[in-house]
Amino acid sequence: MVRLITHNLLACHAKDCNTNNFPLQFKDVQLEIREADFNPEFLKGFMPKIEWKALVETAIQLGDTSLPLEQPEMLDEEFLKNLHHVLLEIHVEEGSMTCPNCKHVYPISNGIPNMLLAEHEIG
Amino acid sequence: MPSRYLFHFAQVHTDFRLPELQSIAELHSIAYTLPENQDDRDPRRPFMVVELEGEEQARLLARRCILIKAVYEFYAQGSTYEELHAANKLSEPLWTRYAEDTSFRFLVSSSHHKIPQSRQREVMESFSYMDFKGKIDMKNPEIILLCFEEYEERHDKTLAKYEGDGDFRQVFFGRLIEEGSARPLVGKFDVKKRVYYGNTSMESEISLLMANQTLASPGKLVYDPFMGTGSMAYPTAHFGALVYGSDIDGRQMRGKQKKPGIIRAATQYGTASQIIDLATFDVTHNPWRCGELFDAIVTDPPYGVRAGAKRLGRKRELSERQRELCLQHSISPRPDDQPYIPPTKPYELSHLAVDLVLLARYLLKPGGRLVFFLPTVTDEYEEVDIYSMLCDGMEVIANSLQDFGSWGRRLVTIKKTTSKKYDPPTFEPVQPKYEEPVHVPAHKDFREKYFQGFKPKSSEEVQNAVNTEAEGSQ
Repeated sequence: MVRLITHNLLACHAKDCNTNNFPLQFKDVQLEIREADFNPEFLKGFMPKIEWKALVETAIQLGDTSLPLEQPEMLDEEFLKNLHHVLLEIHVEEGSMTCPNCKHVYPISNGIPNMLLAEHEIG
Repeated sequence: MPSRYLFHFAQVHTDFRLPELQSIAELHSIAYTLPENQDDRDPRRPFMVVELEGEEQARLLARRCILIKAVYEFYAQGSTYEELHAANKLSEPLWTRYAEDTSFRFLVSSSHHKIPQSRQREVMESFSYMDFKGKIDMKNPEIILLCFEEYEERHDKTLAKYEGDGDFRQVFFGRLIEEGSARPLVGKFDVKKRVYYGNTSMESEISLLMANQTLASPGKLVYDPFMGTGSMAYPTAHFGALVYGSDIDGRQMRGKQKKPGIIRAATQYGTASQIIDLATFDVTHNPWRCGELFDAIVTDPPYGVRAGAKRLGRKRELSERQRELCLQHSISPRPDDQPYIPPTKPYELSHLAVDLVLLARYLLKPGGRLVFFLPTVTDEYEEVDIYSMLCDGMEVIANSLQDFGSWGRRLVTIKKTTSKKYDPPTFEPVQPKYEEPVHVPAHKDFREKYFQGFKPKSSEEVQNAVNTEAEGSQ
């Protein structure tokens, strides 16, 4: 849980934190690798939603260097397999995510991130 | 050339039957035609004759629709046996190929009535003109023929003992194509057999019907913003979709063990890898980076009987000094403190419903569906209640009532019909649209109404309420 597909979709949403609030920075992470069913059609459909730079950099940070720095135009089987692994099979079980802008820390415990805001962070 | 098929439906959740058929037909791109006569498509009756392209389409529907018990090749129907046999003789081209040497079994059955064995035999013998020469095989027949008598249902009336069963209505005849194989899933997903559930878990049959309304299938992304114990996630994942869940209260998703309860239950069903992620947040302050993410949103919002809906904030405003203390506390908690838990306030159901539709319009892909339950007070419900919570680009395509007497809940399916991009909703309190009085939705303040036993307000109380509102708006 907290797979990189999710990490790529979450931005800091504290009050007035609107710029430089993505990607959240992982800290003190415990990783687990779990197999998931490979569905190339899903990956192709999802690619336009990905913030590519954030995904590649986060993957490198977590020790996976299989993705190219630029989103490729040709989607071959090998690339899709790597993308599948990065998006869906790397799980962050413990640790935290910190907003690069306001420094809010979102803790992760047993694979579930706590994205709740404090009272002074809501509008 | 389309052919006619006889569908045998379970006689439960009748209001859900046609929406489910429509959804699964859409999922598989199946064209179908319902009987023209309103009486022949009455969802309270056990049989319906549907026109389809072919047998393959009938099988696809029987494998996915929870409410289909079986599908038959349609041979005949009649309000008397004379009519039935006359029609069946006209259908000879359909069954004559089985006459020569196909082993068969002949069933005579009925709804709300028991046919004595001697009469069953008489019925079978009345079909002797079909001249089936094949072996009668009770165990492994090549084909099964069914003659089904429909009697008037008398469930809703109190019967005097001597009245007996309802009147004979229709008789149908056909050849079995396939038994519904989705219906046994109701047992598979039985909440009592699930390793993790809570007091708000949704019964399995309804959650399966909800999953079908989302058009769940492999590669689709589905989101439940009031995940709770994950009741809708399991059938949705079973049909192949990938599921996200969030809830303001993480305890519901986690349970008491280290491994989250929802993941344990999903593991039991072999779909743990399809629960993409769970996250704790208030949907009115959500961290989704962008919109148009999901193929469907399916949820059973908390409506206050077992658990009330909550959102971040406070019921009462704090004084300047209290606010300062809270801020200090949340920024630098004492070392022995439990993790910081932000305060919450109740989330009134009619506001929640309006917000949910706006949120869905933002988060759904074009063509995506929002499927959710809305409780309503039977005596106060008007159709406008559903339409008053819509916004541009969102259209109601199904509205099925599960009736509990003085109240009920409606499974509402709303489709995003626009491809226009919208800003994320702000979740501001809803301002009334019109100056003149409009119908107050029957789901507004549902919790209060439920605990008052749905008593209608006395005219004096109504007058008081009107006065208070008038004062408030000045």
